[in-house]
Amino acid sequence: MSALAWLELIASGLITGGIYALVALGLNLQYGLMRILNIAHGEFLMLGAYLTWMLQTSFGVSPLWMVPASFLVLMALGLAVHWLCFRRLGATSPNLDIFEARGLMIAFGLMFLVQNFVSYFWGGDLRGYDFMTEPVKVGAAQFAGNKLLVFALALLFSGALIVLLRTTLLGKGVRALMQSPVGAQLVGIDTQRLHPVMFGLGLGLSGVAGCLLSMAYTISPSMGEPYTVTALIVITLGGFGSMSGALAGGLLLGVIEAIGMHFTNPSLKALLSYSVFIAVLLLRPKGLFAK
Amino acid sequence: MTDRQFLIRDLLVLFGLTGWALSLPFYGSEFMVSMALTCLMYVTLSSSWALFCGSTRYLSLATSAFFGIGAYTSALALAQLSWLQSIALGAALATAVAVVMGAAVLHLRGTYFAVLTFGMTELIRHAITYFEKSVTGTVGRVLTVVPERDAIYLTMLALAVLALGTSIGLRRTRFGLALMGIGADEQRAQTLGVNTRLIKIAGFAMTAAFAGAVGAAMSVRWTYIDPHTVFNPFIGFQTVLIALIGGAITLWGPLIAAIVFSLLAETLRLKLPHLYMMSLGLLLILSVLYLPGGLASVRTDTARGWWRDTQAWWRERRYEWSGDKERDKRRERERRLV
Repeated sequence: MSALAWLELIASGLITGGIYALVALGLNLQYGLMRILNIAHGEFLMLGAYLTWMLQTSFGVSPLWMVPASFLVLMALGLAVHWLCFRRLGATSPNLDIFEARGLMIAFGLMFLVQNFVSYFWGGDLRGYDFMTEPVKVGAAQFAGNKLLVFALALLFSGALIVLLRTTLLGKGVRALMQSPVGAQLVGIDTQRLHPVMFGLGLGLSGVAGCLLSMAYTISPSMGEPYTVTALIVITLGGFGSMSGALAGGLLLGVIEAIGMHFTNPSLKALLSYSVFIAVLLLRPKGLFAK
Repeated sequence: MTDRQFLIRDLLVLFGLTGWALSLPFYGSEFMVSMALTCLMYVTLSSSWALFCGSTRYLSLATSAFFGIGAYTSALALAQLSWLQSIALGAALATAVAVVMGAAVLHLRGTYFAVLTFGMTELIRHAITYFEKSVTGTVGRVLTVVPERDAIYLTMLALAVLALGTSIGLRRTRFGLALMGIGADEQRAQTLGVNTRLIKIAGFAMTAAFAGAVGAAMSVRWTYIDPHTVFNPFIGFQTVLIALIGGAITLWGPLIAAIVFSLLAETLRLKLPHLYMMSLGLLLILSVLYLPGGLASVRTDTARGWWRDTQAWWRERRYEWSGDKERDKRRERERRLV
C-alpha cells in the first residue's frame, strides 16, 4: 500500500471519527455528569434528523439553519423530560446505584416511546435529501463535501464544549458537579438548576448531531440504536465525563474501524466495534486515557 | 402467616394454575393456545431472570443471547437428537456461555454490568450473522423436523412450572439467601462468609439455562429462524420490563405482568404496533416512577398513598396560585423589618 492510500484511509477514518465524537458529546454530558445512562440518546438524535429532513423537504429551509433550531427544540424537550421524570426519580431514589438502574429503565421507556412515535408519525421508510454532495478535492484525494462540513462542525462543537467546560465559571460548576454532587451543593452551586439545564444541553447536542448527520447519511426510525452504541463505545474509550477524552476516543475508533475494515471486510464493522468496546470495558473500565 | 403457610399457599396456587393451563389445549382455540404459549414463554423468561437479577440487583440484558443460543442449538440438533435431548443441549450450551460470560463480567456492578451484557449479546449476534453469511453461506435456517403443537405446549408449561417452582424453593435455601444478601450489600455478604463470585456465576448460569431451554423450545414455532429474530435484543428488553413492572423480587409479580403483557401484545400489536410499543414505554416509565416495587407490591394502601400525594400537590398549587404564598412571604419580610 502506498503512502497516499494510507493517508486517504486515515483521513476517511478521522472524518468518521469526528462524527462519532459529535454523536457522543450529549451522552457524555448526561452520563458523565448526572449518571443518567440515556439509552434513548440515539432516538433523540433521530428526532433531530427527522426535524431537519422535514423542514428541508417541505419548506426548503437550509439544513444549516436547522442546527440551532434543532438544538433549541431538543433542549426544550430535554428540560420537559427532566422535569417530568428525572426530577422525581432523583427525589425518590435512596442512593446513586438505584438512581442509575432506574434511570436506565426510564431511558429504555423513552427509547420505545420516541422510536415508535417517529415511525408512527413519519413512517418506516429510508429518507434523505441532497446537500453539498459534490466531492471536494484535497490534494490527490477526494472527499464528500457534506462529510467534510460535518467533520468541521463536529470539531468546532467539541472544541467549543471543551473550552466552555475548562474556562468559564459555568464549566467550573459543571466539573464540580461531576466530581461530587454533594460537595458542589456545599460550595453554593445551584445543582437544582444546573441539573435540568445540563440534561437539556445533552439532548440539544444530540439534536445537533442528528441534524448534521441527516446532511450526509440517509435516515430511518431504526437509525438511533447503532448511534447510541457508538456513543457508548466512544465515551467508554475516552473515560466517562471527559470531553477531550471522548473527542480523542471518537477519532481513534474511526481510524481503527477504517483500517480494520480495509484489511478484513466491511461486514465485520459491527463485530469490530463491539470487540473494542468489550475489551476496553473489561481491561480499562476508566477509559484509555485515565491516569 | 408463617413461612410454612406461605409455602403451602404458593404451592397450591401453582398447582391450580398448572391444572388450568394443562386443560387449555383441549378446549381452547388455536389462537388461544398460541397466546398461552407466548404467555408461558415470558412467564418462564422473566421469572428465571428475576431469580438471579431480581434478588442480586445485577441488571442483565443478556437474556436474548441465551435465548438465541438455545434456539440455534435446537434448530441444528433437532435433525439428529430427540426433542427433549435438543432442549437439554440448548440449555447446557447457554449455561456454558453464561459461565464464561459471568466469570468475565460479574465483578462489575450497576450500569457497567448492564451495558457489558448488552454489548456481549450484540457481539454474539453479529458473530453468528457473520459466520452464517461467510462460512455456511445462508442467512437463516429452516426447521424441517417439527414436533406436534401439544408437545411444544407441554414442554413450555413444564419449563414455566419448573421456573416458578425453583423460585418458590430457592428463596428458602442457603443459596437463595446468599443471592438476597448480595443484592442487599455485597461486601457485607462477603464478610459473612459468602463466596460471592461462585454464587453469582451459579445464579447467572441458572438464569441462562432457563433462557436457553425456552429458546430451544420456541425455535420450532417459527419454523424459520435467523440471527435477527432469535437474538433480537427486544426479547431481552421485554423480559426485563416484565420482571420489573411485575416486581423483580416478588414471586408472582413476573407471572402477573407476563400475562398482562401477552394479552396487551396480542390484542394491540396486530392492529396498532406503534401504539403498543409506545404504551409499553409509557408503562415502563410510570411503573419505575410510581411503583418501584412492581405490580405485585400494589396493596390497598398504595392507591391511598397516591391519593394523599395528589392532594398534597394540589394543596400546594392552590396555595401558590391563589397568591397566599406570595402574601405570606411578604408578611414574613415585613415582620422582619419591623
